[in-house]
Amino acid sequence: MTQFFQQLSDGVVLGALYALIALGYTMVYGIVQLINFAHGEIFMVGAFGGYTIYHYLLPDNMPALVALPIVLVASMITSGVLAAIVERLAYRPLRNAPRLAPLITAIGVSIALQEMIRLFYPNADRGEPFPQLFPNGQVHFGGVSESYVNCFLVVLSVVLMLALRTFVLHSATGRAMRATAQDPDTARLMGINIDRIIVTTFVLGGLLAGAAGTLQGMVASPIDFQIGFIAGLKAFTAAVLGGIGNITGAVLGGFVLGIVEALATQYVPNGSALKDAFAFVVLILVLVFRPTGLLGESVRARA
Amino acid sequence: MPLLQATGVTKQFGGLRALSNVDLTVEEGEIVGVIGPNGAGKTTFFNCLTGMETRTSGEILFRGAPLPTRPDRVTVAGVARTFQNIRLFHNMTVLENVLVGTHPRSRAGVLSAIGRGPRYKREERKAESTSRELLSFVKLDGLRGELAKSLSYGDQRRLEIARALATDPGLLLLDEPTAGMNASETAGAIALVKAIRARGIGIVLIEHDMRFVFGLCDRVAVLVHGEKMVEGSPAQVQSDERVISAYLGRPAE
Repeated sequence: MTQFFQQLSDGVVLGALYALIALGYTMVYGIVQLINFAHGEIFMVGAFGGYTIYHYLLPDNMPALVALPIVLVASMITSGVLAAIVERLAYRPLRNAPRLAPLITAIGVSIALQEMIRLFYPNADRGEPFPQLFPNGQVHFGGVSESYVNCFLVVLSVVLMLALRTFVLHSATGRAMRATAQDPDTARLMGINIDRIIVTTFVLGGLLAGAAGTLQGMVASPIDFQIGFIAGLKAFTAAVLGGIGNITGAVLGGFVLGIVEALATQYVPNGSALKDAFAFVVLILVLVFRPTGLLGESVRARA
Repeated sequence: MPLLQATGVTKQFGGLRALSNVDLTVEEGEIVGVIGPNGAGKTTFFNCLTGMETRTSGEILFRGAPLPTRPDRVTVAGVARTFQNIRLFHNMTVLENVLVGTHPRSRAGVLSAIGRGPRYKREERKAESTSRELLSFVKLDGLRGELAKSLSYGDQRRLEIARALATDPGLLLLDEPTAGMNASETAGAIALVKAIRARGIGIVLIEHDMRFVFGLCDRVAVLVHGEKMVEGSPAQVQSDERVISAYLGRPAE
């Protein structure tokens, strides 16, 4: 039984990370009906942004707990700015193109970002060790134990998700985002500059992905140029599982997926070898049996 | 200086000329009706004014300055509209719909929203009190917390008007404000349009209900096949032979 709860707890940690990344997919989809397949790479570049600041800008003797917020913010800013640039250069010119065009572009952007990191960081093939900025140690509750850094990951993720929720529900810009998601043409007639709203959405998703980048680095060092691929696919699965376009759904989907993955790894025979396959089993099941996801409404047609 | 001065507005869809050299002038505080058979280009004219469609040619001055061609800037300049088929934000509350309308008049940016500074709070309070005032103006104050989609048809029309008013327009374009209304709702709509004019807002309305148009408007323009056929006082338009034949067909010889 303890083992079950241990897996559950590990699943929550995994799920928090998936949820943070999934929010970027779902928000962008909600506003522009685009699956931003480069989002995983935006996360990956964010991790490298934090890594770079730590290694090349911060003094060596800086205390880890001072460096941590700097690295975290550096990752967030890297991903946020990158998301804005990608939107501006790659997606905005294709705003009125057939759906397939931005999708293919997204894949192109992914590959470009991966290769860029591979060129800039000679060791990115094998992996760069991410700085370990959190004290070692374990928290015990009952028979279950989690490392400090895992607990930090969950707490920070939840704080960021609540901040996002407050922003979207209770700020003027959040209101404008929701209006744009429901009916962009009418939103414009309310004086909303939807280009600005769209870029804000990309930046918000980027900030969360960047935070996930640092967290991933700390719990699963080293980082390489391909970490965005699997993380991106899983977060995408989480977003679809929750109901793409639905912010609460992305969080729920993230946690459900994390827990399913952790439990399946433990209880399915030879599960750890199949670790990365479970997410896709979930994705296929959702697409077959409930394509709108757990919280998704029926897909609306839009002219 | 007229509030709105549109000259030679033309819209070509491929080989179809939906609007051809339409002129329309609206003075401050005036109610102008645009009537015409279905497909005459009335809604296209509104779309060209609000930048939802790009006009092929023509000049539009609002308060003497060229009206922008991007919808959000048109709204910021002071022209608001409603739709024939109501277009509310259905999954937002009644109050939120109107709050979205205050967007162009709010000076609180993204950063101040994150910081939740005093200016942000002041702007939000102002937006909310404006919105509440407008909801009581259209008599929806009891329904502030309802989702827009749960409102009755007549209430949805009034909410759409409140939302348009929240953008603080000088000119309001109403596209068939009484479509689908019963007699008592129509009477309410007449009172509402008069009350909007009393706030100093100019109004252009597209309407098929002739009693509504002729009872309310200071001036009426008739569009037929994308061209302005007649313009004048309700009495002049009503007695114009061409209008009668366009609407009723020619008398049998």
